[in-house]
Amino acid sequence: MTFDYKGYTGRYLRVDLSRGKAVELKMEKWWARYYIGGSGIAARILFDEVPPTIEPLSPENRLIFATGPITGTVYPPSGRWTAVTKSPLTGIWGEANSGGYFGPELKFSGFDLIVVQGRAPKPTYLTIDDGEVELRSAEHLWGKNTNETTTIIEEEFGEPKMRVACIGQAGENLVRFACIMNDRDRAAGRTGVGAVMGSKNLKAIAVRGDLNIEVADFDKFFELAEDAYRRYTTGEWGKACRESLGTYGTTGLVDWENEIGRLPTKGHSTGVFERAGEVGPKRIRDEFRIHRRSCMNCAIQCKYVSFVRGGKYANTICSGPEYETIVSLGTNCLNADLPSILHANMLCNLYGLDTISCGGAISFAMECFERGALSEEEVGMPLRWGDGDTVVKLTHMIAKREGIGAILAEGVRRASQIIGRGSEKWAIHVKGLEVSGQDGRSHQSVGLTHAISVIGGAHLRALSSIDELGYMDIAAQRFGEDKAKAICDRLSTEMKGVLVKDVEDLYAIVDSLLTCKYGTMWPPMFYFDDYAKVLHAATGIEDFSKPGEVRLAAERIVNVKRAFNSRLGLSRKDDTLPERFLKEPMPAGPGKGKVVELEPMLNDYYAARNWDFATGLQKRSELTRLGLEDIAEVLEKNNALILD
Amino acid sequence: MPSFIREVENLPYVYCSPDLCTGCRACELVCSAVHEKVFNPRRSRIRVVREEPAIDVAFTCHQCTNAPCITACPTGAIIELPSGLVSVDESRCIGCSLCVEACPFGAIYLIDGVAKKCDLCAGDPACVKRCPTNALRIVYPEQISAEKRRDRATAIARSKMEKSGVTE
Repeated sequence: MTFDYKGYTGRYLRVDLSRGKAVELKMEKWWARYYIGGSGIAARILFDEVPPTIEPLSPENRLIFATGPITGTVYPPSGRWTAVTKSPLTGIWGEANSGGYFGPELKFSGFDLIVVQGRAPKPTYLTIDDGEVELRSAEHLWGKNTNETTTIIEEEFGEPKMRVACIGQAGENLVRFACIMNDRDRAAGRTGVGAVMGSKNLKAIAVRGDLNIEVADFDKFFELAEDAYRRYTTGEWGKACRESLGTYGTTGLVDWENEIGRLPTKGHSTGVFERAGEVGPKRIRDEFRIHRRSCMNCAIQCKYVSFVRGGKYANTICSGPEYETIVSLGTNCLNADLPSILHANMLCNLYGLDTISCGGAISFAMECFERGALSEEEVGMPLRWGDGDTVVKLTHMIAKREGIGAILAEGVRRASQIIGRGSEKWAIHVKGLEVSGQDGRSHQSVGLTHAISVIGGAHLRALSSIDELGYMDIAAQRFGEDKAKAICDRLSTEMKGVLVKDVEDLYAIVDSLLTCKYGTMWPPMFYFDDYAKVLHAATGIEDFSKPGEVRLAAERIVNVKRAFNSRLGLSRKDDTLPERFLKEPMPAGPGKGKVVELEPMLNDYYAARNWDFATGLQKRSELTRLGLEDIAEVLEKNNALILD
Repeated sequence: MPSFIREVENLPYVYCSPDLCTGCRACELVCSAVHEKVFNPRRSRIRVVREEPAIDVAFTCHQCTNAPCITACPTGAIIELPSGLVSVDESRCIGCSLCVEACPFGAIYLIDGVAKKCDLCAGDPACVKRCPTNALRIVYPEQISAEKRRDRATAIARSKMEKSGVTE
């Protein structure tokens, strides 16, 4: 099966678990031209195949495992893959991104994408061994954690190693924020993709193979890859990479975010944590780190293995912790007990839980307890702020859906509806997704990022470091000299709609290529012109030689995902934030006294997107400009289109 | 040249420090790229092994002075070039895998039925250039032994200092 464009394997796999059948299909050429790959192509498939009537945990929902045209190539970093589905946590567009080795190996095994549908009558796992596809019984794997599952599959198949993406007990128990773990310690974390896998009785996907990934213009591509590698490792940015991500991983952010008053603490009630040093980068490096790790073909190398030597949580070993996990299981629960954070982090990885949402659920429970919405008699134990043992206990209970864990496993939005008693106010979520480790009050643009995010309260759809860290020269290059100052003012709302739109488009390309956000988010080195060159050399698709066309593809991808949500009835009213960010002034730090001034930023963002101000809906003219007439038609039928 | 001199003048080889290797496998991808113009770790002449929970290390040809693959080869396809580089004459290779069995490091591979191994990229290995943590280096055995001696001496010095209560 040959495909006209290089970089792709040209094949995708459709697995119908209800019928126990897997079919090999040819990739559509226009998918590549219109949507590049990864979450872009997956967006189109999900839009076409999952109409509003399909429930996230029903067999009809699709779960897509996607790679892009540079996955598995020498262009750094090329180890990422994405999981796309209708989310059981939010009921809308769901997407989770992961690193490791699974993505590249999926391509070496012969496929760009896997589309999973149906529900297996019994626990099942899917293997692709050099193009050979098989559905096998997973009865012996059910109930096992992600590490055990991976080991058993690896031993069954021997060398060369199978690369395994699987769920733990949390996914089996349909915890609404269960994740998919691959290569043991990399997580496709957000939006409950693991619960969808569990609902399909699909325990794991294991892949390996010997397929060559070829590119259209090898010499050019190789030169671009060498250049990218140089930019990641040498010069000013290279030095910055080495000294921050390369030395501390994402943990370095703990110090910085605390300094700018954006370190979520005590259920996002403040952005300053006086005990931040206890969970900071230096302590983690000096006391806990035993080994440095990486995803496939990475030039940054931000991964670590940590080990707890003594005390109550002795012998805890886990990858990370990442900044987001330190926040969610640590600072945001007012918990400065690092061993307990590491232990809960390990448990999340083993059970297969998204650490951000899990920590969000725990801090929500702690706030309910503090404010009297949950009592010790009801829960069976006190849920006090800052108690690391409680964080660990609740992590177990959530994964097993025991006691209060059964309620928290529904995510904070549903949990607050079940608990009632005014607890809705303390459920810190956007569109049902627990908010990640930023605070818009001391970094206005991230307030907009959270509000407009197509998956809900996440940072990776459109987080900008240009204003976060004040890169005047980059702001000037991209938006003009006269705008740079306004852009770089973290506390001003000016130009933030334009900034967030631009970043969101850029990440749409990153998530379709598929590469890592380090290099675009921070350091802000790579931009549309860089990716246009890479895409052109890799795929040979003429359109991609023009940065404008690549930007158009990005806008198209963003609009398809938005359309998926508008068709479900979402509109401007949903692009909002919890009251905490909008009404409660930041109590401390550089953002003291500030709330997120969302409305002006939202207007600017809609203007930049050419969406309707009043409703936030898309316009026919804009969708037509993007070549999405067919999507406009569907939206029109669902009364979710502005007919201009 | 007397034979004992040849034994001293070993060829350099690509050495991987397990303390620095993170298992990113950039070496595998760049090796398959420069040798075959495709991206496929199974076409690489260097391979990374990961063991849980915390070991990553790459293996490739040590350019042995008394190479077991040469001894094992039934057709004489593996030869030592005048430079000392152990090389495969592909026209004589029958793809029997005896060299694969003989190599103690798992560092010779059968690709498309022909034995392939590290050729040091004519002295400037692509994998070394591309290693982001400098875990891979091109070294002479004398360098490695000198470093081992230095590490050992440092360890002894440190323990002596600790015993006598001297702090840095």
